[in-house]
Amino acid sequence: MTMGVQEIEDAGLILNFGYNGADSHPIVQRRIIRARQKGAKIICVDPRVIESARIADIHLQLKGGTNLALVNALCNVIYTEGLMDEKFIREKTTDFDEFVEVIKKYTPEDVSPICRISPEDIRKAARLYATTKPAMILYGMGVCQFGQAVDVVKTLADMALMTGNFGKPATGIGPVRGQNNVQGACDMGALPNNYPGYQSITDDAVREKFEKAWGVPLSNKVGLPLTHVPRRVLRPEDPSKQIHAYYIFGEDPAQTDPDINEVREALEKCDLVILQDIFMNRAGQYADVVLPSTSWGEHEGVYSCCDRGFQRFHKMIEPPEGVKVDWQIISEISTAMGYPMHYNNTQEIWDEMRRLCPSFAGATYEKLEATGGVQWPCRSEDMSDKGTVYLHKGKFSNPDGKGRFYATDWRPPQELTDTEYPLILNTGREVGHYSARTMTGNCRLLRSLEDEPGWVQINPEDCLEYGLEHGDLVRLESRRGWCLSRVSCTDRTSPGAVFMTYQWWIGACNMLTNPNLDPVSNTPEYKYCSVRIECIEDQAWAENYVVTEYRRLRESMGIDVSGEEAAVQ
Amino acid sequence: MTKQVESICPYCGAGCHIMFSVDEAANKIVDAVPAKGRTNDGTLCLKGHYGWDFLNDPQILTKRLRHPMIRKGGKESPLEEVGWDEAIHFVAGRLTEIKNTYGPDAIMGTASARGPGNEAAYVMQKFMRACVGTNNIDHCARI
Amino acid sequence: MNAFVKGNPDLCMGCRTCMVACVVSHTGRHIFELDPDDYTFNPKLHMVKTRAISVPVQCKHCENPACMAACPQKCIHMEDGTVFIDTENCIGCKACMEACPVGAIDMAPVSGVYQPDGKERYVANKCDLCREQSGGPACIRVCPTEALKLVSYEEIADTAQERRLAAAKANADGSLGAAAQAK
Repeated sequence: MTMGVQEIEDAGLILNFGYNGADSHPIVQRRIIRARQKGAKIICVDPRVIESARIADIHLQLKGGTNLALVNALCNVIYTEGLMDEKFIREKTTDFDEFVEVIKKYTPEDVSPICRISPEDIRKAARLYATTKPAMILYGMGVCQFGQAVDVVKTLADMALMTGNFGKPATGIGPVRGQNNVQGACDMGALPNNYPGYQSITDDAVREKFEKAWGVPLSNKVGLPLTHVPRRVLRPEDPSKQIHAYYIFGEDPAQTDPDINEVREALEKCDLVILQDIFMNRAGQYADVVLPSTSWGEHEGVYSCCDRGFQRFHKMIEPPEGVKVDWQIISEISTAMGYPMHYNNTQEIWDEMRRLCPSFAGATYEKLEATGGVQWPCRSEDMSDKGTVYLHKGKFSNPDGKGRFYATDWRPPQELTDTEYPLILNTGREVGHYSARTMTGNCRLLRSLEDEPGWVQINPEDCLEYGLEHGDLVRLESRRGWCLSRVSCTDRTSPGAVFMTYQWWIGACNMLTNPNLDPVSNTPEYKYCSVRIECIEDQAWAENYVVTEYRRLRESMGIDVSGEEAAVQ
Repeated sequence: MTKQVESICPYCGAGCHIMFSVDEAANKIVDAVPAKGRTNDGTLCLKGHYGWDFLNDPQILTKRLRHPMIRKGGKESPLEEVGWDEAIHFVAGRLTEIKNTYGPDAIMGTASARGPGNEAAYVMQKFMRACVGTNNIDHCARI
Repeated sequence: MNAFVKGNPDLCMGCRTCMVACVVSHTGRHIFELDPDDYTFNPKLHMVKTRAISVPVQCKHCENPACMAACPQKCIHMEDGTVFIDTENCIGCKACMEACPVGAIDMAPVSGVYQPDGKERYVANKCDLCREQSGGPACIRVCPTEALKLVSYEEIADTAQERRLAAAKANADGSLGAAAQAK
């Protein structure tokens, strides 16, 4: 995020685009609600009536998969109605003319039938965004999880650029990061193209710096994104580029990656699968080696929250006997492979990292403890460098210091609906559960609030057509797989579009999702694929199936289920 | 004895500060209340308030992993508990073998976007780059 | 007069932290030390979501409770500004549930208690303003957006007084305005 979470409540306007804070980050949503209370205008863009839509001044309930058409049209209105910040464009940006060439084709009238939003509503939203200051854009997975995602991010940045909403308090654009340390994993260079601190592996000077620090020559070849793994195991275009070993650390691709059947087949076929985790999970069932590690609460370190905030987390209890801290396990493997790595504590690791990353250099443990945390960039160890609340103050990070306009044409999602698979499936998060659910599913109260098989939200019109009632179990099918889920009859989703959360084993929507990737970010199109509903005549059978299958799965994860009552036959 | 430890919620990117009460003798967390963090300002959601008892291994959904395990007889064989030395040498040996046979780019590694933290992510990417010799390092960023 | 907990749909985000807090408050302090299957998850407030609204709904603690009048066992009581159910003596007849005009009562199983036929014992379940806990209703304390408030008669009375004042002023302005127009 270019802004700090605390700034959200000071915005004059929030464009809440493809972001459901209420379910993904309730404590960020709290700031949106506070902004509203303090008089901010809210524009919500989402195919569903999410919580932000309820409190919005304008809700653009667009058809799924039409984001870029809409953003281009919003830019079109701002341009044609002369609502730009001309001075900002002139002084702080480049490539505006090329941008205009593209967006001028996207008139509200042309885009209206694509997005299913009236031209007037598109105009109203564009005018409100362009004329209310300071304006902030918050976006989430509703932008990122499409085959065309990075283009939308860049065009949202265009909207902020053309209205001068950068480099000032409570402006900018904010991708609100999902998991607790997804920002941190990126910060630390767990990316195929960057060393820690967003330093490119193809930059010779940078690579030399890391080679010197680590004492070995390093590859300058960009690595493989995680979402390419299944195909590179099963169907490599070039056999010499096949993946033969997969070291999975603290995640469950066999639950959270798209097209689970393909992922599981890849894990079966891969010569060596290593799982390092705290709980057994679906991927672990395919692992050749399992390495048990300490959990949050049993070790310490630093997390990066969604707005670049480094914060210290602490050890609270002793780990169970027999497990090791993650970095120790990795160091021991490395040492056994002939590259000795030895650290006495996390601070030694952190200090080594800081020496190599200029923008993180000032974030010492002492400073993080004393201040509760700092937002990077934080370059000086001096206590007076308290980090950076918002980015791009004065200039942008491009070499010429200017913000660059970018525009391109909209393209539809890969798998469109047809007579065989007539419904759009959109997926997202469950508020009380987290990722693969191994943590929250083992928390009694969160488990009691929501448990298998999860819900599929279906519009009342569709329920009527299929003869479904709230609470019925249904079978959902796509070209890739099937799963069972429970009907939630709600007009918060549109006719023809259904919505599921991804945390469930029996109601696993990733059996259905399409692994079509954005060409730049390699993020899958979790938000759009086509499915069909098969009603289940014998509901008693289905209820029994859920109970017995759930018990079987838990047993396969090492839970003793012997004391549990048998399902009603 | 109950001690108070302030830490960060392990769930979403909001990065909320929580004050935990820890029963040292029982080695258990007994309570969690919101702390005054920059982003959370003394508030928590349901995961922050009630999302910590997985640490006490209540055996609800999946079992806590407590021993290294290896499939000694190949993919079809069961996972068997082994000591750490054996597990580390098995992994190191197999990775070296694959690296020697197919090259370092035949190995894919991930870091976690979740509980392990930045230091573990740093060590993992360093391991993949400096020891294995590939930039095949990524994490579950896209979900 | 009785107070009650009221939710504000403009502040509520439907997260249901309140519902979990309610269960914790009524299970006793040691819910995390129980066997995970040895409690029942019976929140006494329920999240209602429509297209336009998200808000938890719970008992209004009426001054002349229909539930109390309907209970054949006389096990619904009013004391210290709270209407509450004596679940020990509840026979599960559902008369209160039918009588409640806001749907604040449901039937909930009592953990580990079984009827002679082996079925779990069900009793009436509703908000009691956490009368047995200190610190007031748990739902209010945990709500991250302060969407829940304890509303007292005095507050409503104050608001009513303000509205009367506003209405009186509007009347006066209206007649003055009309008089001015007539000139």
